Amino acid sequence: MTLSFRKFVTSVAVAASMATMALPVSAQTYPFDSVVLTTHSSPGGGTDVFLREMTRYLGKYLGANFVVENVRGGSGAKAMADIATAPADGARFYGTTPTFINTSLLSQPEYTFRDMSGVANVFLDPQVVFVRGASPFQNLGEIVEASKASETAVKFGVTTPGSLDRQVMEQFKAITGAQGPVVTHDGGGELLISVLNGTVDLGIGEIQELAAQIEAGEVRVITTYTKERLGNMPDVPTATEQGIDLVVNKFRGIAGPKNLPDEIYAAWETAIQAVLQDAEFKEWYEAQSLVPAYMGHVEYDAFLADFATEQEAFLKQYGIIQ
Amino acid sequence: MEGIGYAWTALTTTPAAFAAVAGVIWGILGGALPGISPSIAMALLLPFTYSMEPITAIVLLAAVYVGAEYGGSIPAILIRTPGTNAAAATAIDGYEMKKQGLAGEALGISLVSGVIGGLIGWFFLVVLTKPLANVALLFTPPAYFALGVLGLSVIASLSSGSLIKGLMAGIVGLMIATIGTDPLSGVNRFTFGSPDLLAGIPFILVMVGVFAVSELLEQAGKRGWARATEEEAQTRIKLPNWAMMKRLRKPQAIGSGIGLFEGCMPGAGGSIAAFMSYNEARRWSKNPEEFGKGSPEAIAAPESANNTVAGTALVPMLSFGIPGSNSTAILLGGLLIHGLRPGPLLFEQNPDFIYGLFGGLLVANISLFFVGILILSPAIWLVNRPKPYLMAAIYALIFSGIYSIHHSLFDLYIVLLAGGVGYLMRLMGFPFLPLVLGLVLGYLIESNYRRSLLLTNGDHSVFLNDPVSLGLLITALVFVVGSAARDYQTARKKRQGSETAA
Repeated sequence: MTLSFRKFVTSVAVAASMATMALPVSAQTYPFDSVVLTTHSSPGGGTDVFLREMTRYLGKYLGANFVVENVRGGSGAKAMADIATAPADGARFYGTTPTFINTSLLSQPEYTFRDMSGVANVFLDPQVVFVRGASPFQNLGEIVEASKASETAVKFGVTTPGSLDRQVMEQFKAITGAQGPVVTHDGGGELLISVLNGTVDLGIGEIQELAAQIEAGEVRVITTYTKERLGNMPDVPTATEQGIDLVVNKFRGIAGPKNLPDEIYAAWETAIQAVLQDAEFKEWYEAQSLVPAYMGHVEYDAFLADFATEQEAFLKQYGIIQ
Repeated sequence: MEGIGYAWTALTTTPAAFAAVAGVIWGILGGALPGISPSIAMALLLPFTYSMEPITAIVLLAAVYVGAEYGGSIPAILIRTPGTNAAAATAIDGYEMKKQGLAGEALGISLVSGVIGGLIGWFFLVVLTKPLANVALLFTPPAYFALGVLGLSVIASLSSGSLIKGLMAGIVGLMIATIGTDPLSGVNRFTFGSPDLLAGIPFILVMVGVFAVSELLEQAGKRGWARATEEEAQTRIKLPNWAMMKRLRKPQAIGSGIGLFEGCMPGAGGSIAAFMSYNEARRWSKNPEEFGKGSPEAIAAPESANNTVAGTALVPMLSFGIPGSNSTAILLGGLLIHGLRPGPLLFEQNPDFIYGLFGGLLVANISLFFVGILILSPAIWLVNRPKPYLMAAIYALIFSGIYSIHHSLFDLYIVLLAGGVGYLMRLMGFPFLPLVLGLVLGYLIESNYRRSLLLTNGDHSVFLNDPVSLGLLITALVFVVGSAARDYQTARKKRQGSETAA
């Protein structure tokens, strides 16, 4: 017990020092010793875990220590305001997901993604279509066919109303002419239950959230909305292969205040490219089914602007915003 | 049997047992501070768990949850401020007992009931995880809707004497629940362009306002309040004696039974369990008239319910990876950080972890009792300080606690507004509980009602075709008719009584 107590105290001490940051500093020159990465995600949430994991390796490539800060509230509005009003010097950044564009459009906060600049994109989260293990559906074509029987023959499940996956589901229906209600939920967990107990026939989700259920055979992935098949699911076809031209870019990257110095953008671009090659980090992100999708500052800004235009059109079409 | 071996190994070779006790202490403190909800108490510790062994980390977090669910009852009893959402029902009779100088007794009842509830929840978590996991699957949107309606039927008996006022308060609660993002379409409702209102009005803010702030306003409005001292106030915790324990057996069983099922359903949670068990305890009590006036049973039922939930809420989290509440979401985050994936296979692939966690939870629930005894006497001493100091300190505690949740002044305005409204309600004799209940259940009822109709293209018969929904709706109907009949009879007796007198 004394030994384990000491172990416990040490682990607390180590954790405390990690929280205040004590990663190895390399010879690289970055103008700041420590960099704050802000996320709207709560501790343990998807984005939070991603940022914490990445900064474990990113430190040595950028030459700075990282602190991940969780600024919750207003679905990200607060975190965005923090970054948009921070000095443009390279000390503070924001972990992006489609949420920050969604919140900007939905709630029109004082500071939006337009007051920030994209620094670099890191990953795309593959979005997949899943059904319960015992479901008769094997591909999207069967679903379209079955939906023609009646208005509620096939029920589509998505997460929150303003989410990217609802947009994708509506697009899918528009492209294929499938009919049926698109049922929104409070989050991915509720959607999973709905699929498992048959309330809805299919859902859209991310592999990390579904991995345990997939492994147990409780749910089955029938399609991925990616450009290419996923490495760890070689048998699952993409939507494009099934003749449905739909690729979803659920991005994860870094944004900062507007007009950062060029050398800051450059330092990040180099570091992100390097960290994606890091063997240990690679092992982690491949296990999470994250698809590396590096984009530099200029390209990322354009990508975000396009993404926002598309998202805005969807929100207007479904009357979510005026 | 081999599970016991795993649990024993985990407790003796890792600091899990120590983490369980430490977690409970932290949880009680966090739960007792208004504004620090169980999930925030857990989130504050989360970064420290990154480098611990998985079992130690998760036991620590789960123990915080256990401690915090109990800790919320301390300020509920002592200063009428529920420290956690689930302690709101405890505030009613707990504070009444405190006003009668029975603070020590009330705290003793809530502690013992919390520990008993926790142990019952633990027991069912350990032996029945797999069958209980199916409870989550039984509940489809129509069933959740019916569950919400059943919860609302409580209003009928919570506001006896002023049913109209109770209904009015309940409807206002339901109306407040519509503020924010529309659950199905995503349209903003009544937000007036303010991002602060997008997520709706958190009900802990309303609760702290109508319970605590209005109480402070009321006390400060009394003549000579600064000199008033409570006579013969108990200064120590008093554990219930044997006769009392016998009397509490029924409400504790009711609380744990309800907590058992509510915990297994994602989205139902401790507060709904606490309110429902308050009501059921009253319905089955031999002394229902004492409820609302300081009944020990009214503390035992909700407190055993919310601590049972702290155990059974792990059922959907561990078996589906689905967090039913913010607290279990953080626990899930903790698991994911350590590379453990909750789901059907977790039990087969990591039995050492699962049984280690169960062992740690048992230690946590037992240590809750001893830590509680140590912490409560100083807490009673604190609230017996002179009124002016105490009230200033309570205000500071409430407002700093609320501010710390989102670092938002807006939240403080809501609390103040709710306090003002609560004070007016008090002056005009409106009961608070229906308001809180409407607010708590509004979202559940609305979103699942609309979701059900979306699924069936507007066919209402879905609520009668779903067996779970049908059962719950019939129960609700029986309850409402039952309390109406009871009210009618009491009124008739009264009339007859006055006629014979005349």
